[in-house]
Amino acid sequence: MKLKKGLAVLITAVLCTSILAGCSGASAKTDVSTKEELNYACTKDIRDINPHLYSGEMSAQNMVFEGLTKNEGGEVKPALAESWEISADGLEYTFHLRKGVTFTDGAAFNAAAVKLNMDAIVGNLERHAWLDMVNEIKENVVVDEHTFKLVLKHPYYPTLVELGLTRPFRFISPNCFVNGTTKEGVNGYVGTGPWVLSEHVDNQYATFTQNETYWGEKTKIKTINWKVMPDPQTILLALQNGEVDLLFGADGDQVDLDSYKKLEEEGAYKTYSSEPVASRAILINSKAPITKDIKVREAIEYAVNKTNIIQGILNGSEDQADTLLSKDVPYCNIELKTITYNQEKTKQLLEEAGWKLGTDGVREKDGQKCEITLSYNSKNAQEGTIATSIQADLAAVGIKMNILGEEKQAFLDRQKTGDFDLQYSLSWGTPYDPQSYVSSWRIPAHGDYQAQAGLEKKQWLDETITKIMTESDETKRAAMYKEVLTYINDQFVYIPISYSKTKAVAITGLEGVTFNDSQYEIPFEKMYFSN
Amino acid sequence: MKNYIVKRLLWMIPILIGISFFAFVLINLSPSDPAEVAIRVNEITPTAENIAQMREQLGLDDPFMTRYLTWLSNALQGDFGNSYANNKPVGEEIAKALPPTLYLAGVSLLIIVVVSVGAGVLCAVKEDSITDKTMRAIVFVGTAIPGFWAGILLMWLFAVKLKWLPTSGMTTPVAVLLPAVTLSLGYIATYVRLIRNNMIHNKRENYVLYGRVRGLKEQTIMKHVFKNSLQTSLTALGMSIPKLIAGTVVIENIFAWPGIGRLCVTAIFNRDFPMIQAYVLIMAVLFVFCNLLVDLGSVWIDPRRRKEA
Repeated sequence: MKLKKGLAVLITAVLCTSILAGCSGASAKTDVSTKEELNYACTKDIRDINPHLYSGEMSAQNMVFEGLTKNEGGEVKPALAESWEISADGLEYTFHLRKGVTFTDGAAFNAAAVKLNMDAIVGNLERHAWLDMVNEIKENVVVDEHTFKLVLKHPYYPTLVELGLTRPFRFISPNCFVNGTTKEGVNGYVGTGPWVLSEHVDNQYATFTQNETYWGEKTKIKTINWKVMPDPQTILLALQNGEVDLLFGADGDQVDLDSYKKLEEEGAYKTYSSEPVASRAILINSKAPITKDIKVREAIEYAVNKTNIIQGILNGSEDQADTLLSKDVPYCNIELKTITYNQEKTKQLLEEAGWKLGTDGVREKDGQKCEITLSYNSKNAQEGTIATSIQADLAAVGIKMNILGEEKQAFLDRQKTGDFDLQYSLSWGTPYDPQSYVSSWRIPAHGDYQAQAGLEKKQWLDETITKIMTESDETKRAAMYKEVLTYINDQFVYIPISYSKTKAVAITGLEGVTFNDSQYEIPFEKMYFSN
Repeated sequence: MKNYIVKRLLWMIPILIGISFFAFVLINLSPSDPAEVAIRVNEITPTAENIAQMREQLGLDDPFMTRYLTWLSNALQGDFGNSYANNKPVGEEIAKALPPTLYLAGVSLLIIVVVSVGAGVLCAVKEDSITDKTMRAIVFVGTAIPGFWAGILLMWLFAVKLKWLPTSGMTTPVAVLLPAVTLSLGYIATYVRLIRNNMIHNKRENYVLYGRVRGLKEQTIMKHVFKNSLQTSLTALGMSIPKLIAGTVVIENIFAWPGIGRLCVTAIFNRDFPMIQAYVLIMAVLFVFCNLLVDLGSVWIDPRRRKEA
């Protein structure tokens, strides 16, 4: 009996101690002097990283495969192409390829390999419908061993930027091709990049090791262990347990803002936040029964208290957006009408539109209640919280807003069919903004297209966007962008909320944690350990 | 007995056909167009043309019954089609994910049996004592805590604070302990109560009284009481096996366990219909088989039922 009591006391003591330990502050600093491996946790597996397809993780594709150009600091820089010339009519791009570069399987990187890859991409046009660039390629020409010429159908202005995107214009070893192409899959993932994918176990982990024959500066860390942990809470615990050294993710994908804030306070980890990269906005459907009235859309914009969202929900970690695209985005530094939170203005606009306050506090018009729905992808809890804030704002002015959290596919179905009143919209960020993002407004499967479909000048809008892409005169192009962005702004199709940032959390001792232009890439090659 | 087994086996045929039909119908009732899902899951923008092409490729233009029969006959040969998400054969994907789940469920089952029997017997023997009450209180809490929360708490205590085990992943042999314990918590609670109550009930039976009168040792009596109390628990335990395998969905996600539960969740999010259909069918077969085995087992153990059979 005594023994049992003793045991019980012991167990209680252990539990209490551990609970108390849990309440105390940060854990000790990790000794990183001997560390050669970086453990990175991700909720997703790298999957199929074929650079010409879209089912793999972009950050993993970026580690292994490189393009002719790269987007860095808002500029196009040389990558596998050392230099290039553009013909006067903007139709021919001649690239001088870097000499002495090999794929990690020993195959030479030359103009023939470039042509083979580019032909494979063009041969799968259907999969790249979102990117005009692929459609603009007329011919891929091998000039000599180290010179490659790209011939376009029109003088497509974002050519160099889009050649530097994470996908699809990246190069995989010709030995990986299946039946001379890549669209049906590849038999290996061999690139020229700073990392080599040396092991991959589905849904568990992937190991990337240093490319010892890399043409550029070699990585400082020898190995990256990409660990798959589907639950963000588990990732946080694993970080605290020393099993993970780095979390990195855009838009609360990996790092939810509360935990991020807490980790920052603890001081045992370093947290990083990028410059604003993309635009977070709410789409208002111009075709839906209630929001088709421009006055209602304007009223909704006046009703949303952005300060509450930014300070209360996003913890001040993002900058407030007054226009859809930030003024830092190319062609977007233009004067646009901005809207400041004003409930009285909302009420006035709604009255003008004929929506009178009913006895239950909800406005009515011709017997119809002013009731709308905001739908979102339920996997992103933060969007749900933002929705609740907007719901309260709208209730205060007599608009009943229902919130509908749905799983991703259902959300996309709704987006595609335009069966929504309000929906979330996130631009793709640099280097996709503005050209690729604006370009996608013309695709019916996108929420932007559906929300704009009720606009009087939608056809003009789409045609102007098409013209912008092939306008070689910079001034004319800027003028056209201004017209498009002004029209969209004045039609109140978007409620700009904030400019999102990419966040990262790393153990102290991991240095060189920076951000690439694209929020979908992780610059592992720049990271190193230092005590 | 032989006739009974044959009869039961024959009965399984219509049941399984019914289930397979049900699985197929349910998926087809989903509002999403499978052709469109198959296109979008690969990040291709759906257009009227490529949807039509995909419908043809997937045979979606055939009449419903034709599609069902084709799927069923292929499934019977182990061909569940290719996943929409990665184009790999569904059968292969499931075969790869099944062993980790079986391993996890097996260890859980072991924990359930050892802990439930130990605690259940102890509670029954020490009926209404402090030990019994404490055990029951713990069991009550165990039933009340949702699995995902218990999992996170255990992970925090044993991995982050005590550093005894890794948080997640199938990295070391001991890594199975945390998910297995989490998975078994709810079941342990049930079985402890079941065993305890059955034993207490049996303790009041006449044969115990007669045993005592005959001057049998208390230990011998308890052995008989225990044996007689196992009947219901064994039946319940048999049915818990498929439940354990199918019930790993949440636990596998929390503990990053590469099993069939995670495969299923990913498939649901991707609307990967071939994968979901195969999962539902395989789980149904597992339930039906375990049910049959439990029935046969209990008939074999219990002489009264053996006679009935």
